[in-house]
Parts: sequence; structure tokens; C-alpha cells
Amino acid sequence: MTTSELNSTQRYAAGALMGLALRQAQIHQTRPLGFPPNNDEEEESHHHHDDLHVLPEELSQLWTHPNYGLVRPIFRFLDIDPIAWTGLEETALSSSAKHHIGAFLRLLSEENCDKDSSEKIEQEFALSKAVDAATMSLLDSTSCSTHITQGSQEVQHERDQRSSSSNMQEASEADGTTPSVLKTTNPNIFHDREGKLLIQEKDGEDKSESRSNSNSDKPLQEAKLVCYQRKVAVLFDLLSACLADTPEDEKKASRIRKGYDARHRIALRLLATWLDVNWIKMEAMEIMVACSAMAAAKGDESHTENVEAEKGKWSKWKRGGIIGAAALTGGTLLAVTGGLAAPAIAAGFSALAPTLGALVPVIGASGFAAAASAAGSVAGSVAVAASFGAAGASLSGSKMARRIGGIDEFEFKPIGENHKNGRLAVGIFVSGFVFEEEDFVKPWAGKESNLERYALQWESKNLITVSTAIQDWLTSSLTMELMKQGAMLTVLNTLVAALAWPSTLLAATNFIDSKWSIAVDRSDKAGQLLADCLLKGLQGNRPVTLIGFSLGARAIFKCLQHLAKAGDRGGLVERVVLLGAPVSIKDEHWEDARKTVAGRFVNVYSTNDWILGVAFRASLLTQGLAGIQPVTTSGVENVDVTELVEGHSSYLWTTQQILDRLELDTYYPIFLNA
Amino acid sequence: MDPSNSPGEFDYLFKLLLIGDSGVGKSSLLLSFTSDTFDDLSPTIGVDFKIKMLTLGGKRLKLAIWDTAGQERFRTLTSSYYRGAQGIILVYDVTRRETFTNLSDVWAKEVDLYSTNQDCIKMLVGNKVDKESERVVTKKEGIAFAREYGCLFIECSAKTRVNVQQCFEELVLKILDTPSLLAEGSTGVRRNIFKQKPPTDASTSSCC
Repeated sequence: MTTSELNSTQRYAAGALMGLALRQAQIHQTRPLGFPPNNDEEEESHHHHDDLHVLPEELSQLWTHPNYGLVRPIFRFLDIDPIAWTGLEETALSSSAKHHIGAFLRLLSEENCDKDSSEKIEQEFALSKAVDAATMSLLDSTSCSTHITQGSQEVQHERDQRSSSSNMQEASEADGTTPSVLKTTNPNIFHDREGKLLIQEKDGEDKSESRSNSNSDKPLQEAKLVCYQRKVAVLFDLLSACLADTPEDEKKASRIRKGYDARHRIALRLLATWLDVNWIKMEAMEIMVACSAMAAAKGDESHTENVEAEKGKWSKWKRGGIIGAAALTGGTLLAVTGGLAAPAIAAGFSALAPTLGALVPVIGASGFAAAASAAGSVAGSVAVAASFGAAGASLSGSKMARRIGGIDEFEFKPIGENHKNGRLAVGIFVSGFVFEEEDFVKPWAGKESNLERYALQWESKNLITVSTAIQDWLTSSLTMELMKQGAMLTVLNTLVAALAWPSTLLAATNFIDSKWSIAVDRSDKAGQLLADCLLKGLQGNRPVTLIGFSLGARAIFKCLQHLAKAGDRGGLVERVVLLGAPVSIKDEHWEDARKTVAGRFVNVYSTNDWILGVAFRASLLTQGLAGIQPVTTSGVENVDVTELVEGHSSYLWTTQQILDRLELDTYYPIFLNA
Repeated sequence: MDPSNSPGEFDYLFKLLLIGDSGVGKSSLLLSFTSDTFDDLSPTIGVDFKIKMLTLGGKRLKLAIWDTAGQERFRTLTSSYYRGAQGIILVYDVTRRETFTNLSDVWAKEVDLYSTNQDCIKMLVGNKVDKESERVVTKKEGIAFAREYGCLFIECSAKTRVNVQQCFEELVLKILDTPSLLAEGSTGVRRNIFKQKPPTDASTSSCC
């Protein structure tokens, strides 16, 4: 019936787990995994009150609600009988999800008793081998890029020293504490980082295991019962289901956008955590599916033999929008001819020559098409989602029209080597404190990851002006004098305590203010522009991770607010990291912004960041400031990096280090607030 | 949308669970109760779920009834649905003896193992009494088992709807008679899951 490696019971369980994962992921938006349970929960377990404490008016806000079109298309793709859907949806809402997850995992672990089970087991095996091969190849490529980036780091470091020490040196001599710490520790930290990276790659699995053990409920004991091949097959099927797009969806579904929903990716991430499968395997699967899809689109030319049989289905795919893959790849389909991912799959093939027969139907383009068409027999034709974007759309290719007054520059610049290689997740990095144009790209260049990465270059003139003004002010004799007296280090404390400012300081900052307020205004507009880009699907309708520092972080925050206004509830943005964000805490809608981010939302702050305090003091005095204080909104992770960041410009060279510490690919917060 | 459709629309919410062998008529029983219809149903996949509003003893009740698959392949699944149930309905088919013996061999053990609720009300239901000529389990046997196991007992037919209403009502009345279960089902326990505020109206929940 279908080419799935799973039997109907297993597909049922897989669908159920996806529903549970979606619901849990939404809960974790406001109550991140690993946080100590609050009183509410204790009471809950005391009463054993199981489910249905969802008020009717809240039901429609749940990710599992049919309106979002997140769950039912998956059920349909998995060919789960519609009569079972409501049961699964209700189960997903249950507050004792943990027990259900365990039960469904046990259901998954049970042996195939179908008559064609041996064939399915063989397929499972082949699939998991292919995924392993793809993973290996991914790891290889990442470690290659690590070497490349090391070089750039050194260059960067030199430059940083140049820019920082020129300002700070004198002061540090006088002051003797913080800046000198910077100079001595920085190289060490880089070494640390490299060492840590190597360890990470080697002991990836051990590490995740030990950490998850320390975490209260993940992974579940039951996960051990499920064999590895089965886990891979489940995740692969669910991923395919997330990417597949059923055009004859519920008419009522309000989900206009197609593609890889950020909420789906987060749910898969949680599911992988439950199953204790390394995330990199999931990334490998993403690439496999994307490449299969692209290969399917390319079709006739490269896979002549296979194509003949599948031609009908493929043409259906093309009609359905797979052609949009051209957008993803910037005009050339290179899934088969070049790039990184295709060799990854090729490696998988050749390593498995004997079982190739079993493998091709599973991961080959034809297999994917067949799976899709099998699901299509239930719900009409199935196209791979427009993950691949509307034709002609791609971030790097687009120069934004200046539809918003006052924005002169807004451009995405690709970083790294893995563009056009079937990456199904995008990272957008936004600098906000820059001295020269390359500061838009440099801070992010070394961060190796499997995201397709872009740096946003925006308003460089204004940003450089304000950054330079601040730098000039720093080097001014007055400030130097203050620094020598150690006054600057206490300024921030004074600020936070809302005490009177030293009047000498106030007078000195006046000339920054106008430039700063222009830059703040531009960052707000850039945020709106960024939101427009995402809403339009210029990222190829793929989940986006947004990371930015200083005014760049502000632009991201504003972007989230615009997304919230546009009614987005976490479908676009997967993760957010704000570093040293000049965003006031009390008079901004953090809750709304939080809801637009499906996964982790990290606020990185430094209590020593007095530049931020000085520049944004108006807000700081009355409202609190995200860049130097924790944000109390539930679901926002606060990470104090005071030890790494002694001044605002530190973010220019410490971002990588900070991001490495955050371990963004982990589902749950790495740093928990005590 | 209807303003009266507020949290105040019912006084108590109870979770009920239907268990028993495949084909004894759990889903038919539920369908008969919730929509007064009888159909040839295909085997339940995994779990199904229905809501029934009911006014009983002057109380407005919302019953969330979980219907589980009796098939062996879903057995592991049902275990997690016992949690928090205030009432459990054990169903057998009076025309198939093994469905009756399996109650003591399998289902009663499952209940003891997985039910989190000491006071949870259990009810034994012999279904398909419309097929009187094919009956192999006598009413006496049913009563004896119910007495031994300490649960309520009724014989009914989902097809003719004989005793279907009574079956659920008796169970619910018993739950209403049990203070600890009543406290659990009280609407005061419910809360806004997004705001995560503790229940403001503490007076309605007679918390033990």
C-alpha cells in the first residue's frame, strides 16, 4: 500500500507521538523543559486531573488544533484512519503526556507481525544505514569548515585586539582588572573552544546521554525498547510528513503558508530527544529528503531509468510546486550534480551496494515520490511542500525594495559553504554594533552549523556612525579620566539602582544621543522589513533561527513583534538569540514576541555592558533593559555572560564563543536559572 | 462564541474509560450513549474520545469518555489512559465466554496496575443481551464477578439501547457520591493553561 517501512500500528504511534511532541513543545514555549515544576503542576498531579482543563476559547490557540494544519496533514500522510484522529488529538492535549509518550513508544517497539515484515525490517535497516552515512559525511564537512574558520578566528582576534586594545589599553593599565582579563583569557577561551569542539564531535552521544539523564524526564526509559532502526524510520517518516504538502487540506485551515513549519521542526527536535537520537541525524535526514525531492524535480535528465516508471507521479510533483526548488538552489538544481549533500547520499549508496535494491525505494527520489503518492491516494495529489520557496525567491538573491521609509540598506549575505545544498533550516545573523562593513559578517563567519546561514547587512552608514561615536566618546579624555578612576565600572550599578547620574557623564553623552536614536529608529524599521521577508517566505519557507547582537538584536525583537501582529504563532521562527539587546523590558510585548518563536528564546546579557546602559539610559532607568538584565517573561532563557563581555563591542568577537556555550541544537535550555 | 459557553457551563468534569476485549461492543455502547445510534463499527484504532453533556442529580456534568481498542496490538497503549479516570467501564460480550474470563485474567489486572485513582468507580457491563438465544454468560455469573471484584454491574444492549443510559448514569451517580472523586471533577480545578494562574475561585474546589 505505502512504501513506508512502518506498519499501520507503528505509523499510528508515530502520528500520536508527533501530536504529543507538538503540544509539549508549545507548553515549553512558556515553561521550558527542565525548569522546576511550579506549584500549579504539583497541584495537578495531586489531583490526578488528567485532561480537558483547556478552556474552550483556548482550544483554537493550540498547535494541535486543526486550524493550524500541523497535525492532521501528518496523520493523513501517515495514512492513519481518520476515525482515530480525534482520539489522538485529545491525547496530545493530555496533561499526563509523559505516560502517553511512554505507552506509544512501547507500541513502537513491538515487533512487526505483518506478513511482509521481513521486507520492512530490511528497509528500516537500509534507511538507518543511509542516514548514518549521510551523518558521517555531514560531520566530515563540518570538521573541515572548522579548520577554515580557525584561521579566520585568528585574523578576527587580531583585529579585535586592534580595535579593543586601542581604546582600552590605557584604561586597563590604570584600572588593572577587567580589560586585562579580557586580553589574557581570550586566547585561552579560543583554545578551550577548539578542544571542546573536538570532544563534542567524538563523544556527541555520551554527552547528550549524560545531560539528558540529569534532566528530569528525558529521554524516556521506553525509548531504550525501540530499536535504532525503528527510531530512524519513525523520524524519517514524520519528517517526510512535515515536508509533504497535501493540497486538499481542510478548507478551513488558516494555514496559508506551505513549507517546513518551525513548529514541526521543534516538535521533531523534541521527539528526537525523547527517542535519544542525535540531532545531527535528523539534519542528515532533512538533507536526504530535500535532495530526494530536488532529484525528483530534476527527474528526467539525471535519473532516466528510474524516471520512466515514476514519470507520472513526478510530473504531479512538479505541478505541485517542487519546481520551486529552483529558488532554493538559486537557479540551478545541483542536488544530483554537485554540492555536499548529494555526495553524502552517494556515499550512503556505495557503502551499501549489496542492499541497494532495498535502499533505493526507501530514500531514492522514486521512493519518496511513491510514499507521497501513497498518501495522496487518501487525499489527492501530494507535493513536497513549498519548502523550497516561491519561484525566484531566495534571501541572497533579493535586494529589498525600500518600501519602508528611511531604510537605505538591507541585504542578506550568504555565510559559509553549505548554500544550495538542501539545508532545510536557515540562520539569519544580524550585527548591530559595527565599525566597518565586514563586521556584519565576521562575528558569525566561524560558527559552523548545518544551517544555511545569512548575515543581514543593514544601515551600515548609521550603525558605523553611532558605533564610532560611542568609540570616540570612549577614547575621549573625559571618559578616560573616569575609567582611570574606576568610575565606569560603577556607572552601571548606579544606573540600575536608578540613582543620579554623574553630571559630567551626562553632558558627555549628549552628542551620542541623536545618532543613537536614529539608529534605534532604523533598527525598528529593519525589524519590520525582516518580518516582511519572512512572511513572504523569502527564506524558502524554511524554519529560521535569528541571532543578533546590539541593535541587531533589537531589529530581531521588532521583527518578532511584527510577526506577532501579523498573526504568526511560531510557524516561521524556530529559535532566537538576542545578545546585548537594547530593548526595554517592561514596555515591550515580550510575551507576544515569545509566542512567535517555536523553540528556544535566549536573552544573553552582561551586567557590565555600561555602553548599552549609557546609550539607552532613558529606557533603562524606568523599564529595565534586556541587554544588561534578565527578562522575566516566562519561557525566555536568560544567560549571563558578564564574565565574557566587559563592554558592548565585545560581542563583535565573543558571539561565537557565547553561541557555542548555548548549544542551540539542544532542545532544552543549557543554562537554567537557579 | 456563545457567551453562555463559558467555564460555568458545567459543574463537574469526569473522565470515564471503556475497556474490554475486541468486539465486545465498547464503541457501540459509547455511540449508543452519545448519539443514540447503532452502527456496525470497524475495530477502534488505538483510542477514541467522545464528550457527553449530562444533567444528573441537579448537577451539570461533562463526561469525557475514552474508548480504547480491545485489540491485542494496542494493549500497551491503553495503560496510559487509566490515569486520572474517575470511572472505568469493563465490558464483556454475553455471547462470548472468553471475553468474560479475560476480565479477570487481563482487564481487572490492568486496572489494578495502572489506575492511579484508589476510589475510582468500576462498572461491569455485559453487552449484547439482545442476542438472548446466543447467551453463554449468565447474569448470575456477572453479578458474582462484580461482587467479588467490588464493582457495579449491569447488562445492556448497545443495539436496542436497553440499559445503556442507565449504565452510564449509575456509574456517574456513584462518582457523585464519592467526595474524593467529586473534588477532582470540580471545575475549580480547571484553569487557564496559558496564564497558568492558580485557580482563583478556591471556594468551589473542596480540596482534600
